[in-house]
Amino acid sequence: MNLKVLVASIIIVGALIFGASTFIESNIEYMDFAKAQSVNKKVQVKGKWVKEKESQFDAAKAQFTFYMVDDNDQEVKVVLDGAKPNNFEMATEVVAKGRFKDGYFHANELLTKCPSKYEGNGEAVKKTL
Amino acid sequence: MFGAAIIKIAFAASILSTILYFIVHKNSSEQVKRFARLFYELAVAGVVTASVMMIYFILNHQFQYYYVWNYSSTDLPLPLLVSTFYAGQEGSFMLWALYTGIIGLVLLRYTSKRGYEAEFMAVFSAIFSFLILMLVVKNPFKPIWEQFSSELLHVGEIPSTVTNFIWVDQARSLWAQIPTEGKGLNALLQNYWMVIHPQILFSGFTSMSIPFAYAVSAMLKKDYVSWIKVATPWSVFGAMMLGTGIILGGYWAYETLGWGGYWGWDPVENSSLVPWLVCLASIHTMLAQRKNGTYIKTNFVLSMFCFILVLYSTFLTRSGVLGETSVHSFVDPGMWVYWLLLFVIALFSALGFGLLFSRWKEMPVVPVEHSLVSREFALFLGASSLVFAAIFIVIGTSSPIITNILKGKISAVDPSFYVTTTLPLGIAIALLSGIGQLLWWQNSKTDALLKQLLLPVILSAALTVITFFMGAIHPMMIIFIFASSFALFTNVIMGIKIVQGNPRMAGGSLAHIGIAIMFLGFVASAKYDDVKTVNLEQGKQVEALGYKMTYVGYQPLERGRFGFNVEVEKNGQKFVVTPVMFKEGDEGSLIRNPDIINLITKDFYVSPLSLEVPEGNEVTIFKGKTETYEGMDIKYLDYTFTQTKEQGNYLVMDIEVTKDGKKEIIHPTMSNKGGQPVYKEALLSNTGISFEIKSMNPSKNDDEAKVTLTINGVNNSSASHASKKETLVVEASVKPYINLVWIGTVALIGGFLITIVRRIKEVSKK
Repeated sequence: MNLKVLVASIIIVGALIFGASTFIESNIEYMDFAKAQSVNKKVQVKGKWVKEKESQFDAAKAQFTFYMVDDNDQEVKVVLDGAKPNNFEMATEVVAKGRFKDGYFHANELLTKCPSKYEGNGEAVKKTL
Repeated sequence: MFGAAIIKIAFAASILSTILYFIVHKNSSEQVKRFARLFYELAVAGVVTASVMMIYFILNHQFQYYYVWNYSSTDLPLPLLVSTFYAGQEGSFMLWALYTGIIGLVLLRYTSKRGYEAEFMAVFSAIFSFLILMLVVKNPFKPIWEQFSSELLHVGEIPSTVTNFIWVDQARSLWAQIPTEGKGLNALLQNYWMVIHPQILFSGFTSMSIPFAYAVSAMLKKDYVSWIKVATPWSVFGAMMLGTGIILGGYWAYETLGWGGYWGWDPVENSSLVPWLVCLASIHTMLAQRKNGTYIKTNFVLSMFCFILVLYSTFLTRSGVLGETSVHSFVDPGMWVYWLLLFVIALFSALGFGLLFSRWKEMPVVPVEHSLVSREFALFLGASSLVFAAIFIVIGTSSPIITNILKGKISAVDPSFYVTTTLPLGIAIALLSGIGQLLWWQNSKTDALLKQLLLPVILSAALTVITFFMGAIHPMMIIFIFASSFALFTNVIMGIKIVQGNPRMAGGSLAHIGIAIMFLGFVASAKYDDVKTVNLEQGKQVEALGYKMTYVGYQPLERGRFGFNVEVEKNGQKFVVTPVMFKEGDEGSLIRNPDIINLITKDFYVSPLSLEVPEGNEVTIFKGKTETYEGMDIKYLDYTFTQTKEQGNYLVMDIEVTKDGKKEIIHPTMSNKGGQPVYKEALLSNTGISFEIKSMNPSKNDDEAKVTLTINGVNNSSASHASKKETLVVEASVKPYINLVWIGTVALIGGFLITIVRRIKEVSKK
């Protein structure tokens, strides 16, 4: 009986410590570009796509390059591993996950938020009259 | 209006039914019970009527209803049109309520025969009430003019040009113009999986409320032992439905959404996985209680958590609390839904756990009398591993909330968190599901166990060595492969013995075989896949990952889609894949669907990235510099940029063109009033040559400031431009042994089915 309780508690404590440390390690913090530049780790930055500026897909490297402005209006070139995401044009906000590298933000994941599609707005209803 | 009224009546009826059933629990009056039943049936009838109305409105394109307008359109094929029923928040709650109501009618009969009706239905009808309450708060029959009053509501004469209108209040000559077309279904959902996946998933959510209702009603009845027998078939049923729903979702993501994999540890996926894991754990501890009476409290806790976690998941994914951290886009449903969901979680937790604590001392304590080497202990460890996996996934998924409370800043965990934490648990689960089959209840003889272990260990070691030479060389993967093979072989060996004895008992073995095969499929297809980006110039054969690919051209498909045909050749066998890309919506977002060659030992997965059209007639010029193109000198002088409310962003370029000694300054423009920029070309006088901005960088730094112009109308003499062909860029990948994942799923579901039949027969025999 005692042996079982011992085994069980060792397993539980071990699992909790393991879980907590992994949690802290793999947390990706939100920050702006200024702060992201100063830390050398994977972070995520929220902002908007600068549509006026060039954006292009480099087929040879399979990278998509565009400019993004964060909530503090800092503009940064972002290079994404992969193609332009679905819904990119519709996105009101984008979140880039990655890290700074040689003056640009190297993203390996890009999330897009597209509320306009899902939430009916006045412009949309006029088009369907 | 009528629909909203019916929902309110249904809500009142189900609340009444809850109260009356509770009175029956107190005084066992047969008369009151008849009324309680009647009100429950009335509530179900209300929800069914509301659902039928909704389907009718959708099929007849009644766009005066905001929901119908928001999610459907006239061009959808029938099955997809029907599926818009649950494309939004309100409709998916209605589907959930509908299934809960209907399955409640079955449960009413089932529990009534087993003396559980009053208590069970009191709880179940309370759950049903909560779901209808969501529809009272977020009315699916909201008229569209309530959403867009300034655009659609008018007072006075109706102009003769308006044909589609409804009188809102004729006495005050108030009328509303009604759209003639709907906004349509999100292109990513326009797929046959949309027709079945949500239905099965919501049946799964519905079934998770059954263990909860049983646990609470058992405590009300102070029956701490025999409820397990009545509840087990339903817990297994819930596990089967939810499991099927989860896997179908994964297959949908893999096959059409082009995420590259079937699982992405996204909050939406996690939130259905967590209750499922807890339900699986409860099935195992229930089994232990049936055998020797232990784990009484554990079974109450786990059964209740099945449903509480479904509620918590609903809160996480529907309330907007996760913010920007999920790939799935959720509309912020408003504070009402947020607080209501929190209130409901608190209410049902308080009900369940309050009752548990008040009964805590009454519950019989069965001393645990088994040794470390017993089936009970293996079940306990297995259930614990499942619960720990669920806890880790809940913590990871809740990370935005946790970090917000602890640090005041939102952050999500990297998907690697889930892999790191669940992999050791997966290994433990695999080993235990093998050992558990070899162990006896109470106590096993160690030497007998060792003898039985010999064959499966040898077989697993052999398989692990084979996979090592096939390339599975990572230490953790070697352990995982060994553990999964061990689970596979022990369960196959035991399964054969069981089938020779009594095939009806083979459910457990079959389900474990399924899990083991799935685990092996996970390792092979997710850890040892090969991915490569390939540029396919039209008509030119390119070899990648051992496959010869030739892009031959594209053709239009239905609903504005384009199929891109790629011929694939491998070892003399020829295939054609047709991945799909299309622009969706006014703003022209690119949507991509992959195509797959399904071979026995692997999938060849082709995901389109983009189509590069030749760009011969373009010139890129830095600011202040001159470029030469077909005898013309083109100089980028400057640009002016204005921003006004009416016009939005407006950009005018000053370009100096020198042709045949004549200088002229032209002004191509770009305007952008929300959405996609609009470009306007500028013509060079008396030539027919036009210049249009393709892209530009308006940087203040002259080294970066540049513009790319598209030049048309020049009599192009050089052949080099014409000979360039379009290029299809794809991501090609090989997913080895992915079929194992699907085969394992089928075995798992089969195992559940056999178990349900066996357990139902047991309860029916009495």
